[in-house]
Amino acid sequence: MNFPLVTSSTHRWETFRHRPFARLVRLFTARIFHGGGDDDSEGLDLSIGLVLTLLALPGGFVSVLLFEKYGSLLQWMRGVTDFNPLAAALPDEYFFIVLSMVVTGAAAVWRWDSIFPDRRDYFNLVPLPIPTRSIFFANLIAMLYLVALLAIDVNAASSFLFPLVVCASQEHIVFFVRFATVHAISVLTASIFTFFAVFSLLGFLMAVLPNSIFKRLSPYLRALLVMFFVVLLCTSFALPIFLQRLPATPPWWTRLLPSTWFLGLGQLLRGEASPALAALGAFALPALASVIVIASGVYGLSYRRYFTRIPEMTEIAASRGSSKRSPLRTLLDRVVLRTPLQRGCFHFVWKTLLRSESHRLVLSAVAGLGLVLASQALMSAFAGHLTVVKVAVSADALSVPFIFAFCIIVGLRLVFEMPVEMRSNWIFRLLLDEENHECEPMARKVMLVSTLPWVFLVVLPVYAYAGGLLPGILHAALVAAWSVLLINAILLRFRKLPFTCSFPPFRQHSIVTLLAGVMAFFLFAVVTPEIEASALANPVWMAVFIPIAAVAWYIPHRIRRETMHHERILIFEEASTRAVEVLQLGD
Amino acid sequence: MLEALHLTKRYASLPAAQDVCFTLRPGQVLGCLGPNGSGKSTTVKMLTGLLEPTRGEVLFNGQNIRDNLAAYRKRLGYVPEEAHLYPYLTGWEYLELIGTLRGMPRPELEKKIDSLLSLFSLHAHRHAGIGSYSKGMRQRILLIAALMDNPDIFIFDEPLSGLDVTSALIFKNLVQALGQQGKLVFYCSHVLEVVEKVCSDILILRKGVVIAQDSVANIGQILGQSLENTFLHLVDDVDTVSVARDIVTVISAA
Repeated sequence: MNFPLVTSSTHRWETFRHRPFARLVRLFTARIFHGGGDDDSEGLDLSIGLVLTLLALPGGFVSVLLFEKYGSLLQWMRGVTDFNPLAAALPDEYFFIVLSMVVTGAAAVWRWDSIFPDRRDYFNLVPLPIPTRSIFFANLIAMLYLVALLAIDVNAASSFLFPLVVCASQEHIVFFVRFATVHAISVLTASIFTFFAVFSLLGFLMAVLPNSIFKRLSPYLRALLVMFFVVLLCTSFALPIFLQRLPATPPWWTRLLPSTWFLGLGQLLRGEASPALAALGAFALPALASVIVIASGVYGLSYRRYFTRIPEMTEIAASRGSSKRSPLRTLLDRVVLRTPLQRGCFHFVWKTLLRSESHRLVLSAVAGLGLVLASQALMSAFAGHLTVVKVAVSADALSVPFIFAFCIIVGLRLVFEMPVEMRSNWIFRLLLDEENHECEPMARKVMLVSTLPWVFLVVLPVYAYAGGLLPGILHAALVAAWSVLLINAILLRFRKLPFTCSFPPFRQHSIVTLLAGVMAFFLFAVVTPEIEASALANPVWMAVFIPIAAVAWYIPHRIRRETMHHERILIFEEASTRAVEVLQLGD
Repeated sequence: MLEALHLTKRYASLPAAQDVCFTLRPGQVLGCLGPNGSGKSTTVKMLTGLLEPTRGEVLFNGQNIRDNLAAYRKRLGYVPEEAHLYPYLTGWEYLELIGTLRGMPRPELEKKIDSLLSLFSLHAHRHAGIGSYSKGMRQRILLIAALMDNPDIFIFDEPLSGLDVTSALIFKNLVQALGQQGKLVFYCSHVLEVVEKVCSDILILRKGVVIAQDSVANIGQILGQSLENTFLHLVDDVDTVSVARDIVTVISAA
């Protein structure tokens, strides 16, 4: 059967799709997802479908988990008869607002470099018979499309599932519709605000700073933003309780948290806002309008200042630096790094950690998490204790260096698995001997150099000053010993040069590994300081850690000894797990 | 002496190189020619030890290179077809990394890097990130990396790609000088004029098989033609003039 209307619409759409402007929009949209940049870097490139699925997952997942809180049967079984879903939903709404801001913000930071057309776009597109304003508007539309897509994708699942869970015990559908609408408005505006806020910052810096300085500053700013988002997420559980108890005039610092504005906006729309939340909510829409105006302004300005001047910019960045080696590096090469492979690869690993943006971002996120956990531990330590000495030897205060050590070691282990410029690893394939098992010792040295210096230079003096010389020495020694043991365990069967091997495929035991990581954190940064705090009352009791350390050292040592030869050969590609293994019994 | 004995590589039963045999003696500059997909890159990868042959072996001074790959690679300088480098390292840092991994003594390494960067006109940009280098500059970094440890065997895969006229001329003379020094040079290229000029012998590959191997002078004499015509005669049955005419017809069509 032929439907003339459908055929005509399809034909018109196809014609539009193939017009130069529409093609440009598609090009820029794809570039934002797949990455641009001038350096042909591969980075962490994922398909659009996978990215959207990953971004949508947290909202949906958390909504389902909340069913237990709002289920009427479960409320009845708990003996709660006067359950007010709107009051109970406030902390969760705040969490969803923060989640949407964090996910959108993280995506904007991740694709920071690809939002603007770059040198490659300039030299491919400008020579073509296309007006530059078409490039300008096509990129703008691609960006707006991205904002809409991100805002909808990140919040789609939670905008439906969360209201469904909250309103499960309600009889009227109107209640659900109203709740869902207000929730959707809050999270969508929060998402859009975050994207434009990040974009305004990027565009403003591009417009104001010289290109070379902007390029140098950009990674650090991105790392700071990631840390801010992690802190925002980690405080999202505590802040709503505080907000509910606020006086009519909220303290000044709450006005600096955009997440509180959108919570206030939701409460205002629902007619449930306390005076404090109403005051905060009043900021939401003006702030949203402001960032959109600022973003539009800086987009035009930075486009004019950056994109149209690309041919005038030199391709080669200013050549600064020294060929002389620092005394620290000479010392490190002489004392710690004994072989050419260790010397070469150690410095390669450090340079990658400091200069590769994706690695730096992941490390910043882990550092942000560590910062939040350490701050919470410190706050708990100061709550209730009177003297500094008592605080210093309390389990909470003692856990702070353990938390940092754990985050650094696990963060490094995580980023070691992330490849960088895979096509460039041919040089290591060519020069490294597969039978030479030096990659594990080299990775261990990177981790030790990242951990032990601050344990002895910061932890020892701080705890010795605050808690006494002996507790300080014992604590620093314990943190150092535990770090060495954790490094020893975490590098078990590590047989690759960091950053040169393809991503490990998802395996069935990946979830078990994740759970083991949580358990390890609990043992490392919670149980150990608890035992230590008791033992420090009588330092002889610290001897209890010796047999534990011996066991923690012996198990990986034993596994290492029993590892077969072929499992120790240096690899550059992770083999995927086959669904069906052929046993070849006939061979 | 480097010997390729019956080198065969199959990818999922499809042969990329079949029964490739040749000998490379000290002082010899062997040019490897062939159209795209002829097995040049596969042969180069087997010669460097990056790829294990399905059948056959590569002998260096009578010993299979896979028996002691590390020792073989210490004596090998390789310039790959494409300049894949770490863009966040500076030129100096990249060369320092290579020199360190090759086990070069520190003072010698720094001196050589400094001198070679100057000779290849890269000294002024030595502390700039490789990501900002042009294709030719990246290629020059690769050449320095291959040369700086003074290896005995050189394998160049399209080494002139992206080089400016001066650098290309320097390189052509360098290849001849390396041959005169008694080094073994295996030179892969599409540029027939360069191969004709710098190589003493030629190996022509087609669909993974060696179809001709002789000195430059002899190969031309056999067919009484220039190297370009000889190559076309051996490798492709394409009438290039007619193809060019067809292209003009296609682009002129309304």
